[in-house]
Amino acid sequence: MDNWQNLQVGQVFETDTITLSKRDILEFAAEFDPQPYHLETEAAEASIFGGLCASGWQVCALMTRLVSDTFKNHGIAIQGIQTIPNLQWKIPVFADDSLCANVVIADCKKDQGLLVCDIAVKNQHQKVALVLSMTLRVGAQSIGSKSL
Amino acid sequence: MNNPEFIRSRWFEDIPVGEFHVFGSHSFTEKEIIEFGKKYSPEAFHTSPEAAFDTEYRGLVAAELHLAAIWMKLMVAYMERFATGVQDGRRNGAGVSVRDMQWFKPVRPGHTITFTYEICEKLDRRVRDKWGIIRSRNEGFNQNNERVFSFEIDILAELAPTPDSAS
Repeated sequence: MDNWQNLQVGQVFETDTITLSKRDILEFAAEFDPQPYHLETEAAEASIFGGLCASGWQVCALMTRLVSDTFKNHGIAIQGIQTIPNLQWKIPVFADDSLCANVVIADCKKDQGLLVCDIAVKNQHQKVALVLSMTLRVGAQSIGSKSL
Repeated sequence: MNNPEFIRSRWFEDIPVGEFHVFGSHSFTEKEIIEFGKKYSPEAFHTSPEAAFDTEYRGLVAAELHLAAIWMKLMVAYMERFATGVQDGRRNGAGVSVRDMQWFKPVRPGHTITFTYEICEKLDRRVRDKWGIIRSRNEGFNQNNERVFSFEIDILAELAPTPDSAS
């Protein structure tokens, strides 16, 4: 089992894959992002996205799930997200797309218990749908500095 | 120009830098925090009040992306009231990127978060000669007026037709 303190900068993790059904897209959109291009096929086809696609926030939320599960499998317990310095949605995610994330350890701030990850979420055609940098709290000291 | 009835159907050119809105509030329940946590952030402090008590958080807290999803929910509710006047009702809103998303304090069951946005910049970049980019600063404050969440988002806004482009 890896531990976050043993991580090397440049180390790469490939997460599992998750497939998004039309129903998943509609359910998330109905609750959090009820816009026509996430809910109605016809309106979506006429929109900038060209088809019914997942809310960008659903893709982000799934990314956190993929990263959480992968790190857990390596004995690394996420204590929270500190920041997302930058994030870009590159292409839409459509029904039945399969997503997996490539996670690169960009920095490991051992004294602060922080892990900086560069993450790319790719679809089944290896196209990047979402790219971001995310700073995770992984050590107890990162919580201590946060007012709870 | 600031008539909110047209907020969603405004052209890029009609959206003023400095525009500020308090656009919604949401009270987080234990049930929804757990539901979101189980799906997307299955750490104990997002999924189990009992187990969460034994973590550094000393209780259940909302997942970070749950804040972002609720921000979107309130933003859509606010904007869609004004989605009138054009064929698909929307000339602005599709997000392209986010900067400096930060969480400052935990959000717990019963906390009420109020969200604000301010139009802070109109970028020079154009997308497919059809859209401009609007940058807004978004913040969430809890019931004690403490800032818990903030970020900037760039959204597309359609460029107004010029005489040449009118069909």
